[in-house]
Amino acid sequence: MMRDRGLLIKGIAVILLGLAAVIGLSRWSDLHHKDFSSASSQEEQLYLQAKTVKRLSLAFNGLAADWYWMRSLQYVGRKVIKYEETQPGQQGLNDLGALDLRLLPSLLRIATTLDPQFIAPYEYGAMILPTFNRDEAIALLQSGIAENPGAWRLYQHLGYVYWQGQEYTKASETYSAGAKLPGAPKWMAEMGARTAAEGGSRGAAREMYQHLYDESTDEKVKELLARRLMQVDSFEERDRIRIVLAQYVQQFGKCPASWRSVAANLQRAGLAINPATGEPLDPSGAPYALISNKCEVDLRLDSRVPYK
Amino acid sequence: MSAKTTQATSDNPSEPATIKAPDHASALYLIAAIAGNTFREAVRDRVLYNLLLFALLLIGGAIFLGELSGGQEAKIIVDLGLSATLLFGVFIAIFVGVGLVYKEIERRTLYAILSKPVSRGRFLFGKYLGLCLTLLVNVLVMGVGVSLALAYVTKGLNPLIFSIWPAVFLIYFELAIITGVALLFSSFSSPALSALLTFLVFIIGHLSADLKSFASSLGGTTARWFFNALYYLLPNLAHYSFITPAAHGQTPAPGSFLMALLYGCVYVAVLLTAATLIFNQRNFK
Repeated sequence: MMRDRGLLIKGIAVILLGLAAVIGLSRWSDLHHKDFSSASSQEEQLYLQAKTVKRLSLAFNGLAADWYWMRSLQYVGRKVIKYEETQPGQQGLNDLGALDLRLLPSLLRIATTLDPQFIAPYEYGAMILPTFNRDEAIALLQSGIAENPGAWRLYQHLGYVYWQGQEYTKASETYSAGAKLPGAPKWMAEMGARTAAEGGSRGAAREMYQHLYDESTDEKVKELLARRLMQVDSFEERDRIRIVLAQYVQQFGKCPASWRSVAANLQRAGLAINPATGEPLDPSGAPYALISNKCEVDLRLDSRVPYK
Repeated sequence: MSAKTTQATSDNPSEPATIKAPDHASALYLIAAIAGNTFREAVRDRVLYNLLLFALLLIGGAIFLGELSGGQEAKIIVDLGLSATLLFGVFIAIFVGVGLVYKEIERRTLYAILSKPVSRGRFLFGKYLGLCLTLLVNVLVMGVGVSLALAYVTKGLNPLIFSIWPAVFLIYFELAIITGVALLFSSFSSPALSALLTFLVFIIGHLSADLKSFASSLGGTTARWFFNALYYLLPNLAHYSFITPAAHGQTPAPGSFLMALLYGCVYVAVLLTAATLIFNQRNFK
């Protein structure tokens, strides 16, 4: 009995010591291979083609598609965090083209090949891919339409990508084609007509972003669209600020030294003002920058409103 | 086993007793008794403990996926839950299935059973039904688990809760075929080899479309014939792959569902007949 108990204590001691050694070794390994692990995440590559992944996934292609979808989100999220760490004061989401998202097209392509009816990756691709690879965005959405011919939302997104690339005729045709599908809302046909008539006007842009925002179920896509809507508002606000600045120059022959000098006029023009400093606030709540030497207004680096 | 089924009968007490073949009712009773015992044995062997792991997987998934999936929790819960149902079911079908006959031989309980008026075919069929019953309980509990997880992530009654059930039953039919394959291999091979071969059949069964396209792309007639034969002879498990559409709220067409059911019944009948023929040839002396 005593011998058994001694053996048990020794066994537990060996297990605890072993686990402590494993933890110690892991920590040592993490410390000494830090550069290697960060380099590997930078240089990660997709070794498998979409069709090969589909074949290998057997009956689990839906689950594999979910895995690649979540990997896409993590990939973009990691890049944004890294960008914001290396470029302090700048929002990564303002300029997705600077994020070097070279793996994203492949990740989204694999997710949609594994599960062609999975609409979320197409929507996400339509929002992000055009900033650095417009052709891939169009190809992804066209393959989505081929697989889901009844999904009018994919026509909406393809129309948006064409519109963004200033291909207004194609955008209009795409909206009109989507409008004919069962279940498509009335505004799809109206957007088709408006895009053809007004092209890239702010009114058309606002309507486009608003519809995309209302229809999207994806939080990340909604966040991007909310920023685009802020951008349209900001364009209009900056036009009003420019008018106020021009009036000041006309009256005093020089540019105002600070926003406080024109705060009352800006308020009268319907702009939100920081009462303490007199600075006009952009739709994200950040103050606009006054560029005195050019007598011009611009976004500040810390603004959440997209610059481009 | 009931004493009713084991009685030896003879009109003349001086003649040695001969074993009378049971009528249909008692044959069914025998099969049911073997199936019931197999189910009880599986429960005693803690096979259903996998449900605990499954529950943890779903609870973990339901809690953490909201953070990672970008609003696709319901789809991912269905994919995760039904894929786990299939995977756990395949493991049970393979690892329990290959031991069904082997364990009886190893423990020498087979001799006691076969000394009674139980044909080898009925013995195999009873064993098969017992494991199918275990898998049915397993699959049903997992289906209910997925429905509950869906109700949790969607905060109410979502149409997906009901539309996943045809896919759950298709998974069960697939598992019934895999169990038949495992039983066939175990009727003439060792458990390890049977498990390996059954797993390979599961993989090839899901690649059957590739076998067909591969056959059509080949130039040689013999090779084409060979791959075409493989395509038609091996179980086409693609008929039962409905997890991905189910995650989008789709249900199989009634025709396809019934065809899959019929295909499964015929295929299982073939497998059990082959297993019986092989098992009948085995000498246990």
